[in-house]
Amino acid sequence: MALSPFGSRSPSMTVHSPNTAIRLRATAAQNSSTGTASAAVSKPVQNGDRELTEQLNIDVRERYVKDRKVGEGTYAVVYVGHLRHDPSSLVAIKKIKVNAEYKDGLAMDAVREVKYLQELKHPNVIALHDVFSSKDQNLSLVLEFLPGGDLEMLIKDSDIQYGVADIKAWMGMLARGVWWCHENFVLHRDIKPNNLLIASDGEVKLADFGLARSFADPLFNMTHQVITRWYRPPELLYGARQYSGAVDIWSMGMVFAELLLRVPFVAGNTDLDQTSKICEAFGTPTEENWPGVSKLPYYIATDKAHLVPLQGRDFFMRQFPTAGPVGADLLMSMCALDPRKRSTAVQCLRHNWWTIEPRPTKNEDLPRKSGGTKKMGDDLTRRGGELDEGMFKSAARQLDFGMK
Amino acid sequence: MASNAASRRDEDEVCPVCKSSRYLNPDMRFLINPECYHKMCESCVDRIFSSGPANCPVAGCRKTLRKNRFRKQTFEDIGVEREVDIRRRVMHILNRREEEFDSKRAYDDFLEQREDIIANLVSRIDVAKTEAQLQKYAADNMQSIRANQAIEAEEASSFQARMSLEQEEARLRRQAVRQEYETERREIQAGREDFLTRLASGSSTDAAAIAREGHKVLLKKSSARRSEEERIRQKQAALRLDNKRVSNLSTVEQAGAADTGLVKGLRKIKTPEPEKPYDPFMGYVPEKRDYYSLQSYYPSQYLDPIRNDARMLAGGYDLREYYSRTLLEAFAGLSCFVGEEISQRDAANTSKSTATEGASMAVEGGENTA
Amino acid sequence: MIEDDIYRASSQYRLWSYTEPSLQSLRATTNAVASERVRAALRRSCEAHQSTATSAAGTPLPESNMEVKNKDEKDVECLTPEEELVLVRYYCEKTLELGETYKPPIPTMVRATAIQYLRRFYLTNSPMTYHPKSIMACALFVATKTDNYYISLRQFADGIPGDTTTEDVIAPEFLLMQGLRFTFDVRHPFRGLEGGVLELQAIAQGQGQPAPHLPYETAEDLQQGLLSIAPPPVPSSSMSDRIARAHGTTRELLKSAAQMTDAYFLYTPSQIWFSAFLLADRPLAEFLLDVKLAPETDENGLVNPLYEIRSKLHHVLTECSALLQSYTPLSSDPAQMKSLKRIAKKLYHCQNPEKVNLAAAQKRESTQPSTAVQSDAGIVTSESETERLAKKRKLEQEQKVRQEDDVFGPELVTQRTKQ
Repeated sequence: MALSPFGSRSPSMTVHSPNTAIRLRATAAQNSSTGTASAAVSKPVQNGDRELTEQLNIDVRERYVKDRKVGEGTYAVVYVGHLRHDPSSLVAIKKIKVNAEYKDGLAMDAVREVKYLQELKHPNVIALHDVFSSKDQNLSLVLEFLPGGDLEMLIKDSDIQYGVADIKAWMGMLARGVWWCHENFVLHRDIKPNNLLIASDGEVKLADFGLARSFADPLFNMTHQVITRWYRPPELLYGARQYSGAVDIWSMGMVFAELLLRVPFVAGNTDLDQTSKICEAFGTPTEENWPGVSKLPYYIATDKAHLVPLQGRDFFMRQFPTAGPVGADLLMSMCALDPRKRSTAVQCLRHNWWTIEPRPTKNEDLPRKSGGTKKMGDDLTRRGGELDEGMFKSAARQLDFGMK
Repeated sequence: MASNAASRRDEDEVCPVCKSSRYLNPDMRFLINPECYHKMCESCVDRIFSSGPANCPVAGCRKTLRKNRFRKQTFEDIGVEREVDIRRRVMHILNRREEEFDSKRAYDDFLEQREDIIANLVSRIDVAKTEAQLQKYAADNMQSIRANQAIEAEEASSFQARMSLEQEEARLRRQAVRQEYETERREIQAGREDFLTRLASGSSTDAAAIAREGHKVLLKKSSARRSEEERIRQKQAALRLDNKRVSNLSTVEQAGAADTGLVKGLRKIKTPEPEKPYDPFMGYVPEKRDYYSLQSYYPSQYLDPIRNDARMLAGGYDLREYYSRTLLEAFAGLSCFVGEEISQRDAANTSKSTATEGASMAVEGGENTA
Repeated sequence: MIEDDIYRASSQYRLWSYTEPSLQSLRATTNAVASERVRAALRRSCEAHQSTATSAAGTPLPESNMEVKNKDEKDVECLTPEEELVLVRYYCEKTLELGETYKPPIPTMVRATAIQYLRRFYLTNSPMTYHPKSIMACALFVATKTDNYYISLRQFADGIPGDTTTEDVIAPEFLLMQGLRFTFDVRHPFRGLEGGVLELQAIAQGQGQPAPHLPYETAEDLQQGLLSIAPPPVPSSSMSDRIARAHGTTRELLKSAAQMTDAYFLYTPSQIWFSAFLLADRPLAEFLLDVKLAPETDENGLVNPLYEIRSKLHHVLTECSALLQSYTPLSSDPAQMKSLKRIAKKLYHCQNPEKVNLAAAQKRESTQPSTAVQSDAGIVTSESETERLAKKRKLEQEQKVRQEDDVFGPELVTQRTKQ
């Protein structure tokens, strides 16, 4: 539900106001009756020449002002902008580039992003406020402004320290985002730390729905080439064409491991390498521990000599000591090789790791990008109350006589 | 503190009580008692007070003194000593911190108040009243006083710890630099000798070449060593413990008791409610349904074969997701009465925009010739 | 109810739900605005023509000149909203047929999405401005993209009978998406039907579970209740069989009537499938409703608080079933087909010439970015362009005359009875 939170709803997100239509009709009539005897080129100066949807689109476009470019990729350009009538309310405007080589119209990523973000509204999913088209038929998405960077930055930044309470907070937010998607029967299919953006209040949000799709009806094939390799579950590497939300849970497990270790846990260079690394880390899939696996298209049986047995809880506890035994148990449930044995999103959230000590840190206490925003925030907040310049300016210093 | 030097000056030659002079006891030391701040030598203290409290021997002062309260004087001026003691005592009690106040003004007021009290006590104005004030405040705010004391202690100890850590690091660094210097010198030495031997053994044309080579080798060695050390240093820095996270000392205080009447302008301390347990779902209730109870299996001719399709199931395909979805879609919106709800919403919208649009509409309506 | 709130968060509810009157007024407005636009455009083109004719020496098309002049003499007769609706309906049916021509045929839900896209598009746009023929193929293509049934544009265009090119198909894409206000998700009743059937089958086999607010019912109670309902319209061997039959009939109704009427705008998907189910097998549907919303009075004779909902729902479902029932496919009704031909002819004359050739306009746009191209699909009309357009129309008219059968040019697909 992409309702813009900025007070009144944007016209494009509501049933069109009948007034707009009446306005158009009136001006149209006006134009034709006065008879524009000008040459053939119709310059759309007045409202009357615009069609209803064009007018609505312009209304939406006019609500936002672009400030400056903050990023550019092959697929889109991102600007920071704000609401025209409220310069303090920031938004991110993502303008999708038209790829001349892609002849099939609007790219699938864009289509998916728009489609699913319009339907999903949750504190842990990035909010789509509006969509409009710019003058050159490019699509622009008005998204929530998330200045805190992404989780990958926090993990990689060696100046930032975090502990298990922070990990618990972040994982909780990720789990909720994923759960919400699954509740609405949407698979995200690209969960990884740099798709987890951080808002100014510290809340983690799931972004980049370019690979998402709704759960499949039975007997419908899906592609197995989804999810970034390091976070891809074994069933996809084995080429499964029908799968479930468990693929997202595996990615979540990999993110969890990465938060704990501060390096990606299973990082293969090719798909084959990834599969073998997974086997080394978690154990080799066999018909015993994963019935039916041999029927998957790209399954390769390993000979008995190289079989790694399925790792148990002690392995996880050894590898991830920071998580503690309960945390290791949760991680293990997310990383089960057989997708049927993997936790579902609901089960993850019902695990008792969330409720045992330590408590997940509050958003305001979570580590931020080193320097930058927090520093600025601190400085700005210190200027409390009314500063009474003058008499007592220098009295504030407390004299320290080396007490005790 | 120039205490030791000062106490050795000539004016302190004689103890006011026993009149013995430094000439006779070179190691004579003076003590004072914070009751009356009279000075006397150690031996007097021993002699007079060892068997219990007694009156101060200085003429005119009848204060009862105890032996254990005698201590060395830290300041040259006894007045200062007394003031500092008073100050210390008052600040021990009135130890509110800046962050507890609503505004800077309030904090400044508090500081001024404190100074007033100290001034009174020092100049012996309204002593009784001031003391009473202090005692009352102390009694009322025992908890906050203690909490603040704890914070101060913590700060002091961590400060100490940081100091010693830094000193240690500095020492290590100096050592490292020294070592590096040594090794470099040795290498240069060795290089030079090697160079000389080679010159001696080689021909004259080789001389220049050998010279250049030797120089290059030295440079390479030193740069290699430097980069190696740099790397080590970086690794050490990464492993260093970060003291950024101060423990969360919760200054839990009673909300009401803050305003004792003495100290004004304290920030209203919210008594933190007992924290609600962490809800992983943050308010949402999963799997709650009104129209139906979701089952884990529904018989269906069309779907049952899937339960036996090993390949589909191996990929993780879960029929329960499908059941859940179809059941939800079967009933979602069943009681949404679109006609009603939409007309309500439209009415609300038009009434909102009527004010602004009304005028323009009226104007246009008149011109509408269609 | 929780499930209802979940539906209320969807874009379909928020942006694409209307009341009957609001739907009508919206269409009327669109029609009026478009008519004005068309008249103005025709007037402009005719004026441009006249100036071209007088200035240029050898006018290539004296006849078209005459034609245009004639048209200008009498006021252009535009389509009425009702006629537009008929036209749109025809093209919705055509969409179903188009989907059938592919090997394998495009899934029902994708086709249904395309049909809904068409209907939504023509709420705020008029067939006079954009001919449904060009929009229809595009809508189906976009539906394959948004509904996880991607086929490449080339494959798609090749599958269309006739000589439609890829440019033709893709040209109106942006316009269509804009008209849809970029909400691509359409909620269909098909899965809901599946869900309802699952529940019924479970109850029939004694494995049903009562609704959460009626915990006192047991599986046996439910089964008993089910087996004791009134007999079906068409007799069947067992309850399971009966359910399956009803399932089939309902599905057909959903594929056709639900798509071709305004059901999606006026009712929710679950109401739609329930209404269709009522038409297929009334006692069965009512049984399910009773189980979910409880009958008028419960065991203890107390009035059920949900009863108010139940009666409102009854009313709504009756309306919806009436709507579904009122639909008859255009192709099967000769009277409707005749009226359709007339409408098509009328449309031919009142098409907005400035918006006719979107594909050419786009191509022109991409190759000449420097010329002051107006925003949105090629509204630029220069004098030569108008001439060209007029020429094209003349050619088309000649073509039309050659094929007297159908005004829409070659039939997309030979008439087939739906089964």
